[in-house]
Amino acid sequence: MGTTIIIITLVTTGIPMTDGMTLSALYRLMAFLSPAFPIGAFTYSHGLEQVIETGAVKNATELEAWLKDILSYGSGRSDAILLKETYRAAMTADAGGISDLRDLGLALQPSKERHLETSAQGTAFMGAVHKSWMPDANSLSADLFRADQWQDGAPWPYPVAVGFACAAHAIPEEPALTGYLHAVAANIISVAVRAVPLGQSDGQKVLARLEPVIFDIAGKARSAGLDDLGTSVFLADIASMAHETQYSRLFRS
Amino acid sequence: MYDAETASQLLRQAPAMQRVKASARVRFSAADGTTRLADLYQSGSAKIRLPKVYGAPKTAVMINTAGGLTGGDCLDFEIAADRGAHAIVTGQTAERAYRSSGGSAKVTGCMRVDAGASLEWLPQETILFDGSSLGRTLTAEVAEDARLTMLESVVLGRKAMKETLNSVFFSDRWRVRRGGKLVFADDIRLDGRPETFLRGTATAAGRTAFATFADISPDAEDRLPLARSLVETLASPGVDAAVSAWNNLLVARFVALDGRALRSALMTFLTGYRSADLPRVWYC
Repeated sequence: MGTTIIIITLVTTGIPMTDGMTLSALYRLMAFLSPAFPIGAFTYSHGLEQVIETGAVKNATELEAWLKDILSYGSGRSDAILLKETYRAAMTADAGGISDLRDLGLALQPSKERHLETSAQGTAFMGAVHKSWMPDANSLSADLFRADQWQDGAPWPYPVAVGFACAAHAIPEEPALTGYLHAVAANIISVAVRAVPLGQSDGQKVLARLEPVIFDIAGKARSAGLDDLGTSVFLADIASMAHETQYSRLFRS
Repeated sequence: MYDAETASQLLRQAPAMQRVKASARVRFSAADGTTRLADLYQSGSAKIRLPKVYGAPKTAVMINTAGGLTGGDCLDFEIAADRGAHAIVTGQTAERAYRSSGGSAKVTGCMRVDAGASLEWLPQETILFDGSSLGRTLTAEVAEDARLTMLESVVLGRKAMKETLNSVFFSDRWRVRRGGKLVFADDIRLDGRPETFLRGTATAAGRTAFATFADISPDAEDRLPLARSLVETLASPGVDAAVSAWNNLLVARFVALDGRALRSALMTFLTGYRSADLPRVWYC
């Protein structure tokens, strides 16, 4: 059985995808980051429900600005760095490094609901991969992924879980980062479509316009390290705290 | 054999600037319910004073006699509260980060809070001036039943002086371990032109002062209703603040129009939350 290698070049944006990616890697990445993957992503708003309540996001333009800041100066950039660090730790079978990143990803949360958002999704993600997508390759990262030590029932932060699973499934790093940021952005947009509400096409326009932003963050995350972590989305953090006492809520964060 | 340089080569080199290299260490211990100073060390421009306090926990005041920080400066401090001790550590005045002519200023703090001890880290604000570059790291080891409260507040320039910042680098890193396990981490990072990245409704809506407060203690979550009611009293067009509690910790964030509004909000919150006045230096 031969393995098909596809090289995707994004001609329109002039950004070539540098990694060759197997069709099975593409297939798995799409499964893991699909809204249908059973992690309950649709129940988390990252504080946006509170921001909508206060009137700071009322339309597609304001959504785009808010989401762009979350990606560039908030959890988008930080999670991308955590994902990439986990991916590289997995590639070198650095179990201690993965444990530290697991603790760090949980400790870095600024509020109770953001802690829930990352830990509930990350833990559910690991559970779903273990149940249905256990990697069977003979590689350092797949061997480490299958190790018993992770069956400890303790929570996983979402980007760390995704980074670990992508490494174990030989999904290249840059598509993994891009796919992760796309999934997070698409999920927040779907919150706005339901809660503002916005038209479906307005939501898709925001996602289309954020494409270069996401490519930029994914690219920079590859050369960034843990010393580069850090955010300045103070009002988004405050919104996620204030969401706890919001009178009428559809979302868990 | 010798790497000799000619006089003309030496003259061409930039003069070595005098840089701050400072360190300070303070440790408190307790006996018969009374907290006492157990160790004090200071070198360079870092000084620690222990003013007489009445009816308040033992208080140490840190002073940077260099008057501020700039690129290449290094300031290290260690604070420890032994078993059962209760102490407050604050700063004499606002810390200032001035324009850097090269490199970052580095501030490194280590804290240890032993069983049954309580340590309050309540420094005054850090003012970041145009062109400044400051990297700060605070690590804390807290025993399971100990309590650490910590505050950091940051003001970009002085609004009353009509200062605006074209560029700044600031990184503030907190790592708190309880019983050896990382339970809280916070990384603030500002890089570039604040008008660009603090303008949005997710960041700071153009405001220039912000702060984070954390209470790491077994009963921190019990104080959530109190903290929420205090935050409600702060609500004004110039201040946004909220609080959250989980996993035996409580965290509050504040964003304010300027340094004065932030300071006023923090004084109201901290006085109410702690049911005690702040150290006297805060009122000077």
